[in-house]
Amino acid sequence: MTSLSPTHVTTEVGVPPRPRPGAATLRTIVGDWLPAVPLLALVATMLLAPALLLVVGSFTGTQGELTLDNWVKVINRRGDQTAIVTSITLAATVATLAALIGAPIAWLLSRMRSVGRLAWLALLTVAGNFGGIGLGFAYFSTLGGVGMVTLALQSLGLPFDPPRGASFNGLVLVFLYTNVPLYVLLVLPGMGALRDDWWEAAQVASATRAQFWRRVGIPVLLPFLAAGWLLVFTWSIGIYGLAYALAGAGAASGVQLMTLRIGSILQSDITETWRANVLAVMLMLFAVVSLLAYRAMLRRGLRWWR
Amino acid sequence: MTAPAVVTAPSVATSRPAPRRSVASWLLFGAIAVYLLLPMLAVMLYAFATVWQARILPDGYTFDHFATVFTEPRIVAAIARSLVLSFVVTLLDIVIVLPAAYWSRVRNKRIRPLIEVGAAIPFVLPFLVIAFGIDRLVGMVTPSFQNTIWILILGQAAVAFPFLYWSVDGAMSAAGIERLSEAAETCGARPRQIVWRIVIPSIRVGIVTGSILVFATTFGEFSLAQVLVGAGFETLPLWQADALLQTTGRFNDLAATTILSFGLLVVLAAVLVWWGRGQTAQAVPGGGVRVGGR
Repeated sequence: MTSLSPTHVTTEVGVPPRPRPGAATLRTIVGDWLPAVPLLALVATMLLAPALLLVVGSFTGTQGELTLDNWVKVINRRGDQTAIVTSITLAATVATLAALIGAPIAWLLSRMRSVGRLAWLALLTVAGNFGGIGLGFAYFSTLGGVGMVTLALQSLGLPFDPPRGASFNGLVLVFLYTNVPLYVLLVLPGMGALRDDWWEAAQVASATRAQFWRRVGIPVLLPFLAAGWLLVFTWSIGIYGLAYALAGAGAASGVQLMTLRIGSILQSDITETWRANVLAVMLMLFAVVSLLAYRAMLRRGLRWWR
Repeated sequence: MTAPAVVTAPSVATSRPAPRRSVASWLLFGAIAVYLLLPMLAVMLYAFATVWQARILPDGYTFDHFATVFTEPRIVAAIARSLVLSFVVTLLDIVIVLPAAYWSRVRNKRIRPLIEVGAAIPFVLPFLVIAFGIDRLVGMVTPSFQNTIWILILGQAAVAFPFLYWSVDGAMSAAGIERLSEAAETCGARPRQIVWRIVIPSIRVGIVTGSILVFATTFGEFSLAQVLVGAGFETLPLWQADALLQTTGRFNDLAATTILSFGLLVVLAAVLVWWGRGQTAQAVPGGGVRVGGR
Protein backbone atom coordinates (compact mmCIF):
# COMPACT_ATOMS: atom_id res chain seq x y z
CA MET A 1 0.00 0.00 0.00
CA THR A 2 2.56 2.54 1.01
CA SER A 3 4.74 1.32 -1.79
CA LEU A 4 2.35 2.83 -4.30
CA SER A 5 3.24 6.22 -5.62
CA PRO A 6 1.56 9.13 -3.86
CA THR A 7 -0.30 10.23 -6.99
CA HIS A 8 -1.96 6.88 -7.27
CA VAL A 9 -5.46 7.05 -5.82
CA THR A 10 -5.66 4.33 -3.22
CA THR A 11 -8.16 3.27 -0.66
CA GLU A 12 -6.46 3.18 2.69
CA VAL A 13 -7.06 0.28 4.96
CA GLY A 14 -9.80 0.78 7.46
CA VAL A 15 -10.63 4.36 6.58
CA PRO A 16 -12.47 6.18 3.85
CA PRO A 17 -10.37 7.04 0.77
CA ARG A 18 -7.86 9.73 1.41
CA PRO A 19 -9.14 13.05 0.09
CA ARG A 20 -7.44 14.62 -2.88
CA PRO A 21 -4.50 16.90 -2.07
CA GLY A 22 -5.58 20.32 -0.92
CA ALA A 23 -9.01 19.27 0.23
CA ALA A 24 -9.89 18.69 3.86
CA THR A 25 -6.33 18.63 5.18
CA LEU A 26 -7.51 18.62 8.76
CA ARG A 27 -9.42 15.41 8.18
CA THR A 28 -6.35 13.87 6.61
CA ILE A 29 -4.21 14.79 9.56
CA VAL A 30 -6.74 13.41 12.00
CA GLY A 31 -7.06 10.23 9.97
CA ASP A 32 -3.30 9.84 9.82
CA TRP A 33 -2.68 10.28 13.53
CA LEU A 34 -5.81 9.62 15.57
CA PRO A 35 -5.27 5.94 16.54
CA ALA A 36 -1.77 6.73 17.74
CA VAL A 37 -2.73 9.78 19.78
CA PRO A 38 -3.34 8.03 23.13
CA LEU A 39 0.04 6.28 23.07
CA LEU A 40 1.91 9.35 21.89
CA ALA A 41 0.17 11.44 24.55
CA LEU A 42 1.19 8.94 27.23
CA VAL A 43 4.79 8.98 26.01
CA ALA A 44 4.82 12.77 25.94
CA THR A 45 3.32 13.31 29.39
CA MET A 46 4.75 10.39 31.35
CA LEU A 47 8.19 9.98 29.77
CA LEU A 48 9.36 12.96 27.71
CA ALA A 49 7.98 15.82 29.77
CA PRO A 50 9.20 14.44 33.13
CA ALA A 51 12.68 13.88 31.69
CA LEU A 52 12.83 17.40 30.29
CA LEU A 53 11.53 18.83 33.53
CA LEU A 54 14.32 17.12 35.46
CA VAL A 55 16.95 18.43 33.05
CA VAL A 56 15.65 21.99 33.32
CA GLY A 57 15.17 21.62 37.07
CA SER A 58 18.80 20.65 37.61
CA PHE A 59 19.87 24.00 36.14
CA THR A 60 17.31 26.09 38.01
CA GLY A 61 18.08 27.95 41.23
CA THR A 62 15.77 28.68 44.12
CA GLN A 63 14.64 31.95 42.56
CA GLY A 64 13.91 30.22 39.27
CA GLU A 65 17.04 31.55 37.62
CA LEU A 66 19.30 29.50 35.35
CA THR A 67 22.40 28.39 37.18
CA LEU A 68 25.08 25.75 37.44
CA ASP A 69 25.11 26.02 41.23
CA ASN A 70 23.26 22.78 41.85
CA TRP A 71 25.73 20.81 39.78
CA VAL A 72 28.72 22.46 41.38
CA LYS A 73 27.39 21.81 44.87
CA VAL A 74 26.65 18.16 44.16
CA ILE A 75 30.02 17.54 42.53
CA ASN A 76 31.84 19.16 45.43
CA ARG A 77 30.03 17.40 48.20
CA ARG A 78 31.74 14.42 49.79
CA GLY A 79 28.69 12.20 50.21
CA ASP A 80 27.56 12.73 46.64
CA GLN A 81 31.05 12.11 45.29
CA THR A 82 31.23 8.83 47.16
CA ALA A 83 27.82 7.79 45.86
CA ILE A 84 28.71 8.63 42.26
CA VAL A 85 32.04 6.82 42.37
CA THR A 86 30.54 3.80 44.14
CA SER A 87 27.66 3.58 41.67
CA ILE A 88 29.98 3.69 38.67
CA THR A 89 32.42 1.18 40.17
CA LEU A 90 29.62 -1.16 41.16
CA ALA A 91 27.95 -1.05 37.73
CA ALA A 92 31.26 -1.52 35.92
CA THR A 93 32.19 -4.47 38.15
CA VAL A 94 28.81 -6.10 37.67
CA ALA A 95 28.84 -5.58 33.91
CA THR A 96 32.37 -6.92 33.54
CA LEU A 97 31.71 -10.00 35.62
CA ALA A 98 28.39 -10.57 33.84
CA ALA A 99 30.21 -10.41 30.50
CA LEU A 100 33.03 -12.73 31.60
CA ILE A 101 30.60 -15.33 32.90
CA GLY A 102 27.76 -14.73 30.47
CA ALA A 103 29.64 -14.69 27.16
CA PRO A 104 30.87 -18.31 27.31
CA ILE A 105 27.45 -19.44 28.49
CA ALA A 106 25.73 -17.64 25.64
CA TRP A 107 28.16 -19.13 23.15
CA LEU A 108 27.70 -22.68 24.42
CA LEU A 109 23.93 -22.22 24.56
CA SER A 110 23.78 -20.99 21.00
CA ARG A 111 25.23 -24.29 19.82
CA MET A 112 23.27 -26.49 22.20
CA ARG A 113 20.60 -28.97 21.18
CA SER A 114 17.12 -27.64 21.48
CA VAL A 115 15.86 -29.51 24.55
CA GLY A 116 18.65 -28.51 26.88
CA ARG A 117 18.61 -25.06 25.38
CA LEU A 118 14.94 -24.61 26.14
CA ALA A 119 15.40 -25.66 29.74
CA TRP A 120 18.30 -23.25 30.18
CA LEU A 121 16.39 -20.43 28.53
CA ALA A 122 13.53 -21.04 30.93
CA LEU A 123 15.84 -20.96 33.95
CA LEU A 124 17.60 -17.83 32.70
CA THR A 125 14.33 -16.08 31.95
CA VAL A 126 13.04 -16.78 35.43
CA ALA A 127 16.27 -15.80 37.17
CA GLY A 128 16.68 -12.70 35.01
CA ASN A 129 13.24 -11.56 36.00
CA PHE A 130 13.59 -12.42 39.66
CA GLY A 131 14.52 -8.98 40.85
CA GLY A 132 13.53 -6.23 43.20
CA ILE A 133 12.53 -6.81 46.78
CA GLY A 134 11.97 -10.55 46.36
CA LEU A 135 15.55 -11.09 45.28
CA GLY A 136 16.80 -8.94 48.12
CA PHE A 137 14.99 -11.20 50.52
CA ALA A 138 16.37 -14.27 48.73
CA TYR A 139 19.85 -12.95 49.44
CA PHE A 140 19.19 -12.82 53.15
CA SER A 141 17.66 -16.27 53.20
CA THR A 142 20.72 -17.65 51.42
CA LEU A 143 23.66 -15.66 52.74
CA GLY A 144 22.20 -13.73 55.65
CA GLY A 145 22.94 -14.38 59.31
CA VAL A 146 20.57 -17.37 59.31
CA GLY A 147 20.77 -17.95 55.58
CA MET A 148 20.86 -21.45 54.18
CA VAL A 149 24.44 -21.39 52.96
CA THR A 150 25.65 -19.64 56.11
CA LEU A 151 23.99 -22.23 58.33
CA ALA A 152 25.23 -25.11 56.22
CA LEU A 153 28.83 -23.98 56.28
CA GLN A 154 28.79 -23.06 59.94
CA SER A 155 27.27 -26.36 60.97
CA LEU A 156 30.17 -28.02 59.17
CA GLY A 157 32.38 -26.11 61.53
CA LEU A 158 33.66 -23.62 58.97
CA PRO A 159 34.14 -20.06 60.19
CA PHE A 160 32.02 -18.62 57.39
CA ASP A 161 31.26 -14.92 57.43
CA PRO A 162 29.04 -13.92 54.50
CA PRO A 163 29.36 -10.45 52.95
CA ARG A 164 26.78 -8.10 54.43
CA GLY A 165 23.91 -7.23 52.14
CA ALA A 166 24.72 -3.57 52.45
CA SER A 167 28.36 -4.05 51.47
CA PHE A 168 29.89 -3.57 48.04
CA ASN A 169 30.60 -7.29 47.61
CA GLY A 170 27.12 -8.20 48.74
CA LEU A 171 25.60 -5.87 46.17
CA VAL A 172 27.83 -7.25 43.39
CA LEU A 173 26.84 -10.81 44.28
CA VAL A 174 23.13 -9.99 44.19
CA PHE A 175 23.20 -7.73 41.13
CA LEU A 176 24.90 -10.53 39.20
CA TYR A 177 21.97 -12.81 39.92
CA THR A 178 19.72 -10.99 37.47
CA ASN A 179 22.39 -9.52 35.27
CA VAL A 180 24.24 -12.68 34.22
CA PRO A 181 21.01 -14.21 32.86
CA LEU A 182 20.01 -10.92 31.26
CA TYR A 183 23.42 -10.63 29.65
CA VAL A 184 23.14 -14.14 28.24
CA LEU A 185 19.64 -13.52 26.88
CA LEU A 186 20.79 -10.22 25.43
CA VAL A 187 23.85 -11.46 23.53
CA LEU A 188 22.49 -14.88 22.59
CA PRO A 189 20.94 -13.78 19.26
CA GLY A 190 24.22 -12.10 18.32
CA MET A 191 26.05 -15.43 18.58
CA GLY A 192 24.57 -16.34 15.21
CA ALA A 193 26.89 -13.79 13.62
CA LEU A 194 29.76 -16.24 13.89
CA ARG A 195 29.12 -18.72 11.11
CA ASP A 196 30.07 -22.34 11.48
CA ASP A 197 31.74 -22.60 8.09
CA TRP A 198 34.30 -20.01 9.18
CA TRP A 199 35.66 -22.48 11.68
CA GLU A 200 35.92 -25.03 8.91
CA ALA A 201 37.63 -22.47 6.70
CA ALA A 202 40.05 -21.65 9.51
CA GLN A 203 40.80 -25.33 9.94
CA VAL A 204 41.46 -25.73 6.25
CA ALA A 205 43.99 -22.93 6.68
CA SER A 206 45.31 -25.05 9.56
CA ALA A 207 44.50 -22.56 12.29
CA THR A 208 44.34 -23.72 15.88
CA ARG A 209 41.27 -23.20 17.99
CA ALA A 210 43.00 -20.41 19.90
CA GLN A 211 44.01 -18.66 16.69
CA PHE A 212 40.49 -18.95 15.35
CA TRP A 213 39.07 -17.30 18.44
CA ARG A 214 41.67 -14.55 18.55
CA ARG A 215 41.54 -13.63 14.86
CA VAL A 216 37.94 -14.40 13.91
CA GLY A 217 35.65 -15.38 16.75
CA ILE A 218 36.27 -12.63 19.26
CA PRO A 219 36.47 -9.78 16.70
CA VAL A 220 33.18 -10.79 15.10
CA LEU A 221 31.36 -11.21 18.42
CA LEU A 222 32.95 -8.29 20.21
CA PRO A 223 30.42 -5.63 19.18
CA PHE A 224 27.56 -7.74 20.60
CA LEU A 225 29.46 -8.56 23.78
CA ALA A 226 30.32 -4.89 24.27
CA ALA A 227 26.75 -3.80 23.57
CA GLY A 228 25.56 -6.23 26.23
CA TRP A 229 28.15 -4.87 28.66
CA LEU A 230 26.85 -1.36 28.10
CA LEU A 231 23.25 -2.29 28.78
CA VAL A 232 24.08 -4.23 31.91
CA PHE A 233 26.14 -1.28 33.10
CA THR A 234 23.24 1.09 32.48
CA TRP A 235 20.69 -1.14 34.13
CA SER A 236 22.93 -1.84 37.12
CA ILE A 237 23.64 1.80 37.80
CA GLY A 238 19.88 2.44 37.84
CA ILE A 239 18.84 -0.45 40.10
CA TYR A 240 16.89 0.86 43.06
CA GLY A 241 14.41 -1.63 44.52
CA LEU A 242 16.95 -4.41 44.97
CA ALA A 243 19.56 -2.08 46.44
CA TYR A 244 16.93 -0.64 48.77
CA ALA A 245 16.04 -4.12 50.00
CA LEU A 246 19.68 -4.87 50.75
CA ALA A 247 20.99 -1.59 52.04
CA GLY A 248 17.89 0.06 53.40
CA ALA A 249 17.54 3.77 52.87
CA GLY A 250 21.32 3.72 52.59
CA ALA A 251 22.09 6.95 54.39
CA ALA A 252 23.16 5.38 57.63
CA SER A 253 24.09 1.85 56.70
CA GLY A 254 26.99 0.94 54.53
CA VAL A 255 27.10 1.59 50.82
CA GLN A 256 26.13 4.89 49.23
CA LEU A 257 24.61 4.67 45.77
CA MET A 258 23.18 7.38 43.54
CA THR A 259 19.79 5.70 43.38
CA LEU A 260 19.64 5.12 47.13
CA ARG A 261 20.47 8.77 47.71
CA ILE A 262 17.77 9.93 45.32
CA GLY A 263 15.32 7.58 46.96
CA SER A 264 16.05 8.68 50.50
CA ILE A 265 15.87 12.36 49.58
CA LEU A 266 12.49 11.80 47.92
CA GLN A 267 11.25 9.92 50.95
CA SER A 268 12.28 12.32 53.63
CA ASP A 269 14.06 15.48 52.66
CA ILE A 270 11.99 17.93 50.61
CA THR A 271 14.56 20.71 50.93
CA GLU A 272 17.21 18.62 49.20
CA THR A 273 15.14 17.82 46.11
CA TRP A 274 17.51 19.80 43.92
CA ARG A 275 20.29 17.43 44.91
CA ALA A 276 18.26 14.38 43.89
CA ASN A 277 17.43 16.23 40.71
CA VAL A 278 21.08 16.64 39.71
CA LEU A 279 21.86 13.01 40.52
CA ALA A 280 18.88 11.91 38.43
CA VAL A 281 20.08 13.94 35.45
CA MET A 282 23.53 12.37 35.82
CA LEU A 283 21.89 8.96 35.58
CA MET A 284 20.05 10.19 32.49
CA LEU A 285 23.35 11.21 30.94
CA PHE A 286 24.78 7.74 31.50
CA ALA A 287 21.67 6.24 29.94
CA VAL A 288 21.71 8.46 26.85
CA VAL A 289 25.42 7.99 26.19
CA SER A 290 25.24 4.25 26.60
CA LEU A 291 22.13 3.96 24.43
CA LEU A 292 23.90 5.80 21.60
CA ALA A 293 27.02 3.68 22.02
CA TYR A 294 24.84 0.55 22.16
CA ARG A 295 23.23 1.44 18.83
CA ALA A 296 26.62 2.10 17.24
CA MET A 297 27.99 -1.23 18.48
CA LEU A 298 25.05 -3.16 17.11
CA ARG A 299 25.43 -1.49 13.74
CA ARG A 300 29.06 -2.62 13.68
CA GLY A 301 28.13 -6.12 14.76
CA LEU A 302 25.41 -6.50 12.18
CA ARG A 303 27.91 -5.92 9.36
CA TRP A 304 28.75 -9.60 9.56
CA TRP A 305 25.16 -10.62 9.84
CA ARG A 306 23.63 -12.49 7.01
CA MET B 1 40.33 -31.86 10.00
CA THR B 2 37.33 -33.36 11.68
CA ALA B 3 34.63 -34.52 9.34
CA PRO B 4 32.35 -31.56 8.68
CA ALA B 5 28.82 -32.21 9.80
CA VAL B 6 26.14 -32.05 7.19
CA VAL B 7 25.13 -28.40 7.09
CA THR B 8 21.39 -28.42 7.31
CA ALA B 9 19.92 -25.98 9.74
CA PRO B 10 22.59 -23.33 10.24
CA SER B 11 23.66 -22.43 13.73
CA VAL B 12 21.96 -25.42 15.26
CA ALA B 13 23.77 -28.47 16.52
CA THR B 14 26.49 -28.50 13.87
CA SER B 15 28.55 -26.89 16.59
CA ARG B 16 32.01 -27.05 15.05
CA PRO B 17 33.74 -24.15 16.80
CA ALA B 18 32.09 -24.93 20.10
CA PRO B 19 34.32 -26.87 22.41
CA ARG B 20 33.07 -30.39 22.88
CA ARG B 21 31.34 -30.96 26.19
CA SER B 22 34.53 -30.42 28.09
CA VAL B 23 34.99 -30.58 31.83
CA ALA B 24 35.26 -26.80 31.86
CA SER B 25 31.87 -26.29 30.26
CA TRP B 26 30.23 -28.75 32.65
CA LEU B 27 31.79 -26.90 35.56
CA LEU B 28 30.60 -23.56 34.20
CA PHE B 29 27.03 -24.71 33.71
CA GLY B 30 27.02 -26.58 36.99
CA ALA B 31 28.25 -23.59 38.94
CA ILE B 32 25.78 -21.24 37.32
CA ALA B 33 22.91 -23.66 37.95
CA VAL B 34 23.81 -23.85 41.64
CA TYR B 35 24.17 -20.08 41.85
CA LEU B 36 20.76 -19.53 40.24
CA LEU B 37 18.86 -22.31 41.98
CA LEU B 38 20.22 -22.07 45.53
CA PRO B 39 18.47 -18.82 46.49
CA MET B 40 15.21 -20.11 45.03
CA LEU B 41 15.58 -23.24 47.14
CA ALA B 42 16.40 -21.23 50.26
CA VAL B 43 13.30 -19.05 49.87
CA MET B 44 11.20 -22.13 49.24
CA LEU B 45 12.44 -23.84 52.40
CA TYR B 46 11.90 -20.70 54.47
CA ALA B 47 8.34 -20.50 53.22
CA PHE B 48 7.66 -23.93 54.71
CA ALA B 49 10.03 -23.95 57.68
CA THR B 50 8.91 -24.00 61.30
CA VAL B 51 12.15 -23.19 63.05
CA TRP B 52 15.38 -22.81 61.17
CA GLN B 53 18.24 -21.34 63.10
CA ALA B 54 21.05 -23.73 63.62
CA ARG B 55 21.01 -26.67 61.27
CA ILE B 56 21.52 -27.18 57.56
CA LEU B 57 17.82 -27.84 57.01
CA PRO B 58 14.77 -26.52 58.88
CA ASP B 59 13.69 -28.32 62.04
CA GLY B 60 10.22 -28.92 60.62
CA TYR B 61 7.79 -27.99 57.90
CA THR B 62 4.41 -26.29 57.93
CA PHE B 63 1.82 -24.53 55.77
CA ASP B 64 1.17 -21.95 58.49
CA HIS B 65 2.99 -19.11 56.75
CA PHE B 66 0.79 -19.38 53.69
CA ALA B 67 -2.24 -19.38 55.99
CA THR B 68 -0.92 -16.17 57.56
CA VAL B 69 -0.35 -14.60 54.18
CA PHE B 70 -3.86 -15.38 53.04
CA THR B 71 -5.55 -14.27 56.24
CA GLU B 72 -3.68 -11.18 57.38
CA PRO B 73 -5.71 -8.30 55.94
CA ARG B 74 -2.73 -6.10 55.21
CA ILE B 75 -0.96 -8.73 53.09
CA VAL B 76 -4.11 -9.87 51.32
CA ALA B 77 -4.87 -6.26 50.45
CA ALA B 78 -1.35 -5.71 49.15
CA ILE B 79 -1.55 -8.79 46.92
CA ALA B 80 -4.96 -7.72 45.65
CA ARG B 81 -3.70 -4.22 44.89
CA SER B 82 -0.75 -5.56 42.96
CA LEU B 83 -2.93 -7.91 40.94
CA VAL B 84 -5.51 -5.22 40.14
CA LEU B 85 -2.82 -2.70 39.27
CA SER B 86 -1.02 -5.12 36.94
CA PHE B 87 -4.28 -6.12 35.30
CA VAL B 88 -5.44 -2.56 34.68
CA VAL B 89 -2.04 -1.47 33.39
CA THR B 90 -1.87 -4.44 31.00
CA LEU B 91 -5.36 -3.71 29.69
CA LEU B 92 -4.58 -0.03 29.24
CA ASP B 93 -1.39 -0.82 27.35
CA ILE B 94 -3.19 -3.22 25.04
CA VAL B 95 -5.85 -0.64 24.27
CA ILE B 96 -3.44 2.15 23.44
CA VAL B 97 -0.46 0.29 21.95
CA LEU B 98 -2.24 -1.94 19.43
CA PRO B 99 -3.93 0.83 17.41
CA ALA B 100 -0.77 2.91 17.35
CA ALA B 101 1.40 0.01 16.23
CA TYR B 102 -1.13 -1.02 13.57
CA TRP B 103 -1.57 2.50 12.26
CA SER B 104 2.18 3.07 12.08
CA ARG B 105 2.38 0.10 9.71
CA VAL B 106 -0.65 0.48 7.45
CA ARG B 107 -1.27 4.19 7.29
CA ASN B 108 1.32 6.59 8.65
CA LYS B 109 5.00 5.64 8.78
CA ARG B 110 5.87 8.83 10.63
CA ILE B 111 4.31 7.44 13.82
CA ARG B 112 6.99 4.78 14.15
CA PRO B 113 10.07 6.89 15.00
CA LEU B 114 8.07 8.70 17.66
CA ILE B 115 7.03 5.45 19.33
CA GLU B 116 10.58 4.18 19.14
CA VAL B 117 11.98 7.23 20.90
CA GLY B 118 9.33 6.74 23.57
CA ALA B 119 10.17 3.05 23.92
CA ALA B 120 13.88 3.78 24.29
CA ILE B 121 13.30 5.93 27.38
CA PRO B 122 12.20 3.24 29.87
CA PHE B 123 14.59 0.80 28.20
CA VAL B 124 17.62 2.69 29.50
CA LEU B 125 16.41 5.24 32.01
CA PRO B 126 16.11 4.01 35.60
CA PHE B 127 12.47 3.69 36.63
CA LEU B 128 13.36 5.64 39.76
CA VAL B 129 14.37 8.63 37.64
CA ILE B 130 11.21 8.43 35.55
CA ALA B 131 9.09 8.19 38.69
CA PHE B 132 10.87 11.21 40.17
CA GLY B 133 10.23 13.22 37.01
CA ILE B 134 6.58 12.25 36.87
CA ASP B 135 6.12 13.16 40.52
CA ARG B 136 7.63 16.62 39.99
CA LEU B 137 5.62 17.22 36.85
CA VAL B 138 2.35 16.23 38.46
CA GLY B 139 3.18 18.35 41.50
CA MET B 140 3.65 21.34 39.22
CA VAL B 141 0.82 20.90 36.76
CA THR B 142 -2.00 19.02 38.50
CA PRO B 143 -1.21 18.78 42.22
CA SER B 144 -4.58 17.23 42.98
CA PHE B 145 -3.45 14.10 41.12
CA GLN B 146 -0.26 13.73 43.11
CA ASN B 147 -0.07 10.51 45.14
CA THR B 148 -3.14 9.01 43.50
CA ILE B 149 -3.42 5.59 42.02
CA TRP B 150 -4.26 7.16 38.64
CA ILE B 151 -0.77 8.53 38.31
CA LEU B 152 0.68 5.16 39.25
CA ILE B 153 -1.41 3.46 36.56
CA LEU B 154 -0.39 5.97 33.91
CA GLY B 155 3.28 5.87 34.92
CA GLN B 156 3.36 2.06 34.97
CA ALA B 157 1.63 1.90 31.59
CA ALA B 158 4.25 4.28 30.21
CA VAL B 159 7.31 2.41 31.50
CA ALA B 160 5.94 -1.00 30.53
CA PHE B 161 4.51 -0.24 27.08
CA PRO B 162 7.74 -0.98 25.15
CA PHE B 163 7.51 -4.70 25.99
CA LEU B 164 4.08 -4.89 24.40
CA TYR B 165 5.01 -2.65 21.51
CA TRP B 166 8.12 -4.64 20.58
CA SER B 167 6.43 -8.00 20.66
CA VAL B 168 3.29 -6.78 18.86
CA ASP B 169 5.30 -4.96 16.23
CA GLY B 170 7.48 -8.02 15.72
CA ALA B 171 4.38 -10.18 15.30
CA MET B 172 2.90 -7.71 12.81
CA SER B 173 6.08 -7.74 10.80
CA ALA B 174 6.23 -11.54 10.86
CA ALA B 175 2.61 -11.82 9.76
CA GLY B 176 3.05 -9.24 7.01
CA ILE B 177 0.15 -7.27 8.36
CA GLU B 178 0.23 -4.63 5.61
CA ARG B 179 -0.34 -7.18 2.88
CA LEU B 180 -2.94 -9.06 4.89
CA SER B 181 -4.90 -5.88 5.50
CA GLU B 182 -4.65 -4.92 1.89
CA ALA B 183 -5.81 -8.32 0.74
CA ALA B 184 -8.75 -8.22 3.12
CA GLU B 185 -9.62 -4.76 1.90
CA THR B 186 -9.53 -5.93 -1.70
CA CYS B 187 -11.89 -8.75 -0.82
CA GLY B 188 -14.32 -6.17 0.46
CA ALA B 189 -13.89 -6.67 4.19
CA ARG B 190 -15.09 -3.86 6.40
CA PRO B 191 -12.60 -2.18 8.77
CA ARG B 192 -14.09 -3.87 11.80
CA GLN B 193 -13.84 -7.28 10.12
CA ILE B 194 -10.23 -6.60 9.17
CA VAL B 195 -9.29 -5.80 12.73
CA TRP B 196 -11.14 -8.61 14.48
CA ARG B 197 -10.87 -11.38 11.90
CA ILE B 198 -7.48 -10.69 10.34
CA VAL B 199 -5.22 -8.48 12.40
CA ILE B 200 -5.83 -9.67 15.93
CA PRO B 201 -5.81 -13.42 15.17
CA SER B 202 -2.59 -13.14 13.21
CA ILE B 203 -0.69 -11.32 15.96
CA ARG B 204 -2.19 -13.20 18.91
CA VAL B 205 1.12 -14.65 20.05
CA GLY B 206 2.68 -11.21 20.09
CA ILE B 207 -0.17 -9.80 22.14
CA VAL B 208 -0.01 -12.60 24.71
CA THR B 209 3.78 -12.44 25.03
CA GLY B 210 3.84 -8.68 25.36
CA SER B 211 0.97 -8.64 27.84
CA ILE B 212 2.73 -11.15 30.05
CA LEU B 213 5.85 -9.00 30.09
CA VAL B 214 3.82 -5.90 30.97
CA PHE B 215 1.97 -7.75 33.72
CA ALA B 216 5.13 -9.18 35.26
CA THR B 217 6.97 -5.86 35.11
CA THR B 218 4.14 -4.09 36.85
CA PHE B 219 3.64 -6.79 39.47
CA GLY B 220 7.22 -6.64 40.70
CA GLU B 221 7.84 -2.94 40.28
CA PHE B 222 8.93 -1.14 43.42
CA SER B 223 10.32 2.30 42.61
CA LEU B 224 7.29 3.76 40.83
CA ALA B 225 4.97 2.54 43.55
CA GLN B 226 7.17 3.97 46.28
CA VAL B 227 7.77 7.36 44.69
CA LEU B 228 4.40 7.99 43.05
CA VAL B 229 2.00 6.80 45.77
CA GLY B 230 3.90 5.26 48.65
CA ALA B 231 2.02 4.10 51.70
CA GLY B 232 -1.28 5.37 50.28
CA PHE B 233 -1.47 2.34 47.99
CA GLU B 234 0.61 -0.43 49.45
CA THR B 235 1.46 -2.94 46.74
CA LEU B 236 3.06 -6.29 47.47
CA PRO B 237 6.64 -5.11 46.83
CA LEU B 238 6.04 -2.14 49.15
CA TRP B 239 4.81 -4.44 51.89
CA GLN B 240 7.75 -6.76 51.36
CA ALA B 241 10.25 -3.91 51.57
CA ASP B 242 8.63 -2.67 54.75
CA ALA B 243 8.64 -6.10 56.35
CA LEU B 244 12.24 -6.67 55.30
CA LEU B 245 13.55 -3.41 56.73
CA GLN B 246 11.56 -3.61 59.96
CA THR B 247 13.32 -6.90 60.69
CA THR B 248 10.52 -7.91 63.01
CA GLY B 249 10.98 -11.59 62.36
CA ARG B 250 8.57 -11.85 59.46
CA PHE B 251 11.10 -13.90 57.60
CA ASN B 252 8.76 -16.80 56.88
CA ASP B 253 5.86 -14.63 55.74
CA LEU B 254 8.23 -12.78 53.45
CA ALA B 255 9.34 -16.10 52.07
CA ALA B 256 5.76 -17.16 51.46
CA THR B 257 4.87 -13.96 49.57
CA THR B 258 8.08 -14.21 47.58
CA ILE B 259 7.18 -17.76 46.60
CA LEU B 260 3.72 -16.58 45.55
CA SER B 261 4.97 -13.87 43.24
CA PHE B 262 7.75 -16.14 42.13
CA GLY B 263 5.28 -18.87 41.24
CA LEU B 264 3.39 -16.35 39.16
CA LEU B 265 6.62 -15.41 37.43
CA VAL B 266 7.52 -19.03 36.71
CA VAL B 267 4.14 -19.71 35.17
CA LEU B 268 4.36 -16.60 33.04
CA ALA B 269 7.93 -17.40 31.97
CA ALA B 270 6.93 -20.94 31.06
CA VAL B 271 4.18 -19.56 28.84
CA LEU B 272 6.66 -17.14 27.32
CA VAL B 273 9.30 -19.72 26.53
CA TRP B 274 6.68 -22.16 25.29
CA TRP B 275 5.06 -19.66 22.93
CA GLY B 276 8.39 -18.37 21.74
CA ARG B 277 9.84 -21.89 21.41
CA GLY B 278 13.21 -20.77 22.59
CA GLN B 279 13.18 -17.52 20.72
CA THR B 280 12.17 -15.28 23.59
CA ALA B 281 15.37 -13.37 23.36
CA GLN B 282 14.68 -11.18 20.38
CA ALA B 283 16.79 -8.66 22.13
CA VAL B 284 19.36 -7.63 19.63
CA PRO B 285 17.67 -5.41 17.06
CA GLY B 286 16.52 -2.76 19.47
CA GLY B 287 14.27 -5.05 21.45
CA GLY B 288 14.77 -6.23 24.95
CA VAL B 289 13.89 -8.83 27.49
CA ARG B 290 13.59 -6.89 30.66
CA VAL B 291 10.98 -7.68 33.21
CA GLY B 292 10.64 -7.45 36.90
CA GLY B 293 11.31 -4.74 39.38
CA ARG B 294 14.49 -2.78 39.22
